[in-house]
Amino acid sequence: MNRYLYDGTADGLLSSIAWILEEEPDPEKVTLAKRMDTLFEEGFTIGTDATLAESLFFRLKQHAPDAAHTLYSFMLAEKEGMETSLLHYVSLAFKHGDKVKGYLTHPAVRDIVNVAQKAGRELHRMKGLLRFEKLQDGAYLAKMEPDYNIIHPLADHFSRRLRAQHWFLYDVKRRMAARWNNGTLQFGTIEQFTTPALSEDEKKVQALWQAFFKTIAIPDRKNPRLQKSNMPMKYWKYLVEKQGE
Amino acid sequence: MDTLAKLQILSGAARYDASCASSGSKREGPSSGTGNTSSSGICHSWADDGRCISLLKILLSNDCIYDCAYCVNRSTNPVERASFTAREVIDLTLDFYRRNYIEGLFLSSAVMQSPDQTMERMVRVAEALRTEEQFGGYIHMKIIPGCSSDLVRKAGLYADRISVNIELPSQASLQRLAPQKHKHAILEPMALIGREIATSLVERKASCRAPRFAPAGQSTQMIIGASPENDFQILRLSQGLYKKMNLKRVYYSAYVPVIADNRLPVLAAPPLLREHRLYQADWLLRFYGFSAEEILSDDAPHLDESFDPKTAWALRHPEFFPVEINGADYATLLRVPGIGVLSAKRIVAARRFSRITPDGLKKIGVVIKRAKYFITCSGRSFEKPDQPPALIRQRLLLGESSEAPMSILPKQLVLPGLIA
Ligand code: SF4
Repeated sequence: MNRYLYDGTADGLLSSIAWILEEEPDPEKVTLAKRMDTLFEEGFTIGTDATLAESLFFRLKQHAPDAAHTLYSFMLAEKEGMETSLLHYVSLAFKHGDKVKGYLTHPAVRDIVNVAQKAGRELHRMKGLLRFEKLQDGAYLAKMEPDYNIIHPLADHFSRRLRAQHWFLYDVKRRMAARWNNGTLQFGTIEQFTTPALSEDEKKVQALWQAFFKTIAIPDRKNPRLQKSNMPMKYWKYLVEKQGE
Repeated sequence: MDTLAKLQILSGAARYDASCASSGSKREGPSSGTGNTSSSGICHSWADDGRCISLLKILLSNDCIYDCAYCVNRSTNPVERASFTAREVIDLTLDFYRRNYIEGLFLSSAVMQSPDQTMERMVRVAEALRTEEQFGGYIHMKIIPGCSSDLVRKAGLYADRISVNIELPSQASLQRLAPQKHKHAILEPMALIGREIATSLVERKASCRAPRFAPAGQSTQMIIGASPENDFQILRLSQGLYKKMNLKRVYYSAYVPVIADNRLPVLAAPPLLREHRLYQADWLLRFYGFSAEEILSDDAPHLDESFDPKTAWALRHPEFFPVEINGADYATLLRVPGIGVLSAKRIVAARRFSRITPDGLKKIGVVIKRAKYFITCSGRSFEKPDQPPALIRQRLLLGESSEAPMSILPKQLVLPGLIA
């Protein structure tokens, strides 16, 4: 059984999978792991090739769009230690097409689909839970601390939704930012973040939202457990309606 | 009165409306404007009662000239009255939408001076949002029964979803409890909406520039337990609404007494369990291929309190079981208690690769707690085969409180339909 290593980057992972699928007669029998550079590490290191990585993704997208979407969501999770499962999953996806997502009795498929689902769920959740604040200069800023690295697809979503606004997303933990202005979307990292001043009417609008949030609940039906299971407390930090609770 | 005070009154008055769905519509936003809609719907928050908040749900006014027995806003009830201006609603919607608090607006109203005058003011809000403000987010509007069909048509052109509340399950009850509302004033706009939706779908097939009419469809709501109709009557009514009027959803709301009135029943508690069972039966109608006549009959017109309607059906039909996991088709799998749409789909998908073993069932995430009495896996039973239904009944009742506890069940809990 062959053991392969890659450099730990996303491009490295995808290009080594592409390489193995090309070169190995039975990819489901080999393993793939991140190179640790320890003295006695065994395995053959595959070089990183961004074009190869990209072409793998596009070929998969043509062959099995659902599976490619799963792969994309899985990559958002930045999970380490599941490289072999991913390799086997991609290999199976080329073999069976989109039907592969139903192959939940296969451990690799189950593992990959599970992680991808979690990342996909957080992305969907954040589409609702993200909160923008209006700044003095008229731009809007939304801060967040998601578990997964979802800023790209999230920014895509808002670029279709809040087109006429100038806005920023900021992933506080990863220090990554997205900016939308006049029809262009940019990504970057921020080294020094200072919270800008809010616009004058911002607090007034927030007070209206807080009032609405309070009154819309049916008073005799308080159900904090259900509320928390739908909206875990880890997201409350940036929720206007949950300030001061 | 300032906007904040009005918002408190008019969102408080709208809180009992069950439908919060923001799904079913896919609208690309105008490039110069604000907003689009997403076909799967998005929840933006969850209120203290655990319900999803997706839309800014408000009444335009709670100042009602009607006197429906079950409603807090009835003209003879001394509550504080308020009405928004169009500008206030528009600003609230946009301010909230730009901050990503909401998917859009859910606008309803009490009857102010007349149905036409009220509906006209509501339509004006939607029109201004769409045309002047270029708003592309979700709009759900209630139709005020008795307004002109022109206004209904206009509403449908601006809104993603429109709905007319059927209020009560029969004409007789309507007459008794909401004497100013008439059956035809409710059914006529429903039929009109149904026709317009159908025409618009046909036209849009021919040309994608044909106007959309309520692309997310129409829904309705009725109050359960304020009047004497049985579950069979109610389910048959819903079935008719789905089939003949092409409705997307029927919402049920358990009646909770807000004011004493001798035309209304005195209830110890709102019929929440009944409401919950009706929602389950409604799912069977919409997604599981059941008919109202399979679920209930004139001899047994009430839904079972201790079992969900699918389990109740299964217990009455032992001849249908056991169902073979590795052989049965999708529709048959769906009839097994405890196997829902997701599980049935997973079973069908996994079978393509290999026969499913009992262990495999667990691996693909199918819970067999209740299903085990009704299925076989490659001919093998999970339980002693051929147990009499009475015994299964008992075991289901005993061993497992297989349903989630009541406290989290009625997500749709609602007080009477305060809404015109
Ligand atoms: S149900 Fe509607 S019409 Fe009847 S009193 Fe209430 S608000 Fe007025």
